[in-house]
Amino acid sequence: MTNIDYDVLIIGSGASGGMTAYTLTRKGIKCLMLDAGPPVDFTRDRELKPAYELPFRGFGKPGQLPHVFQATEFNANQWVDEKQVPYTHDPAQPYNWVRVRLVGGKTLFWSRMSFRLSDYEFKAKDHDGFGDNWPIAYADLAPYYDQVEPIFRVAGRREGFPQLPDGLFIEDNSPESKANQQFIAATKERGIPNTKMRRSMGRGPLASSLNLLLPDALATGNLTIVPNAVVRELTVDRASGLVSGANFVDRHSGREMHAKARVVAVGASCLESTRLLLNSGIANSSGVLGHYLHDQFYITQTVQAIVPEARGGNTARALIGGGGLIPRFRNLKTKEKGFIRGYALDWSTGGTPDAKYIPLYGEALDKEIENCRGAGFSATTMGEVLPRFENHVRIDKTVKDAWGIPALHIQTCYTSNEFNMAKDAVSTLEELCHACGWEVLAAHDRMFPPGYSIHELGTCRMGDNPKTSVLNKWNQSHDVKNLFVVDGSSFVTGGSQNPTMTILSLSMRASDYLAEQMRRGDL
Amino acid sequence: MKRRRFLQAVAAAPAASLIAQHPAPPAAQPLSAELPKLDFAVPDAAAEPIHRFFTTSQFAALRKLGGILMPAANGGPGALDANAPEFLDFLLAESPADRQQLYRAGLDGLNAQATHRFAKPFAELAMAQADELLAPLRARWTYQPPADPAGRFLLTAKLDLRTATLNSLEWNASARPGGRRGGPAGLYWRPID
Repeated sequence: MTNIDYDVLIIGSGASGGMTAYTLTRKGIKCLMLDAGPPVDFTRDRELKPAYELPFRGFGKPGQLPHVFQATEFNANQWVDEKQVPYTHDPAQPYNWVRVRLVGGKTLFWSRMSFRLSDYEFKAKDHDGFGDNWPIAYADLAPYYDQVEPIFRVAGRREGFPQLPDGLFIEDNSPESKANQQFIAATKERGIPNTKMRRSMGRGPLASSLNLLLPDALATGNLTIVPNAVVRELTVDRASGLVSGANFVDRHSGREMHAKARVVAVGASCLESTRLLLNSGIANSSGVLGHYLHDQFYITQTVQAIVPEARGGNTARALIGGGGLIPRFRNLKTKEKGFIRGYALDWSTGGTPDAKYIPLYGEALDKEIENCRGAGFSATTMGEVLPRFENHVRIDKTVKDAWGIPALHIQTCYTSNEFNMAKDAVSTLEELCHACGWEVLAAHDRMFPPGYSIHELGTCRMGDNPKTSVLNKWNQSHDVKNLFVVDGSSFVTGGSQNPTMTILSLSMRASDYLAEQMRRGDL
Repeated sequence: MKRRRFLQAVAAAPAASLIAQHPAPPAAQPLSAELPKLDFAVPDAAAEPIHRFFTTSQFAALRKLGGILMPAANGGPGALDANAPEFLDFLLAESPADRQQLYRAGLDGLNAQATHRFAKPFAELAMAQADELLAPLRARWTYQPPADPAGRFLLTAKLDLRTATLNSLEWNASARPGGRRGGPAGLYWRPID
């Protein structure tokens, strides 16, 4: 039986695991990657179907994925089965843990929104006194954003916003439709910034670890990927206190295995990484492991409106369509009364309002939908959630997954800071729509439960002080020097930006450091 | 010949000699790696569903509601043509208890209101009479669902009947190039193992 000592064991194959493999293998470091899920074949595993061919006519099997609001009957099989890998929460404080267990992880399906954090996040405490600063500044991470963006081919428009630093973009200077020009003019009049959406173009149909990172890593000959490997726990050498590898179970056969390595890099996704460390009983001398869970709250269709000029089929591309991003604009130079930090707004024109917004039925409803087809405006609010110690995860020993691994209990809720921010977002959007003369069909500030954004962050945060943080500024455990946690669990604050570019950049930076330490013989 | 020896012979023999021992296949059916593609039908195209959730009076009220909320128009099928009430009978039987209760209470409530105001069940009301009971559907939509369970039911049924119609075989079959759109389609993910 082959039992190779690898240089680095990487757990997880998504953004962080993929980038770690990409960086290390190109430096000649032998890596073993374990992923809990199977490889995916986009040709074999999916097919175009009309909704009527689905068993539940597109409604989905009732009760199949109660926490995954993104699930449809078309895509239900791409998400983790909650019965196979359960988690618990207080019924009064729901948490939507949305997971993917496939090689490539969530980068197979992400929205591709690609932003940098700024020192408004890295040095947030300096700005408003709440929480903690990161142990790094924007300048520390900028060179890594510069390397990641060309790999993912990020399109965007350079603006010079201090709160949303520009990247190395494929410049997007596409013309704005008339409706968009109207909306942008309304934002300008109010001193609200606006830009083109910043999005990874990727290559071919994907902007994923699967096609942008793992192939290059495999081509070096230094990467071995084992799919269907559900890691049970990290193993520790009692004499040295260092991690020695991982015990895992083969998902199909149930066979228990052990993989050895000099260094372990955990990138299993934020909460799975923390669950693994908690179940392994390591890296928690601070008592902070599992704490400071945060994400971004989302309010989809915060405002749904109609652009009257586009009614009746006046929906040529020059007239309506496209969208943009309003980055955070609150609490930068001024101070709001009801909340600290801020939110971003992802807006678009050209959609058709859902039938639920139209207070009609029968033929009248059909006629109205036809009349406003393509004439809609809608926006999603993405708000910063404050990292609080009390929002945490812990192991629930009474519940185990299909492989007998103790489940996670998640305890978190939003507070008045988030609720007040949401109200401000609604009133801002309504004001902008009214200024444009658009018909507001509905507006609301009801955010989804925590977790919905799939941007779970924190619980294994970095910091300079080993008593108040789990990792140092290189994503390296304070307690166990050959253990790195390279995913979003290392975040100190998350801002209102989609975190993927930051996760990729942090994992590349951590991997550079790790490689240098190995070269020096310090690991 | 024992099975093992037969298998060994098959493995060792050149393909041509094996073929020669058997009658030639029909010329019209050349051996090919490509298997024939057969056409299959969905159950709705070939059979009637068996009702198992709603009572007779509830189902009659749901059918009446379907005819009003999603009538046939412009050559396309309505909820009744698309068997949307029949499909919802199946879906509700599979649904969580709170959803089931919403429908049962909502339909019973419609019948009770109809009997109270017009001395007949909802299914037998004239259009103008039924419209009077559907006032919650003409109120401005808000994210806060109506406090009244009847209003909550009507808003839910409006969307469910619409979706069950638009996602039906019948709606899809009525699509015409350049005219009525077909129902939604998407990339379906098979179970990945």
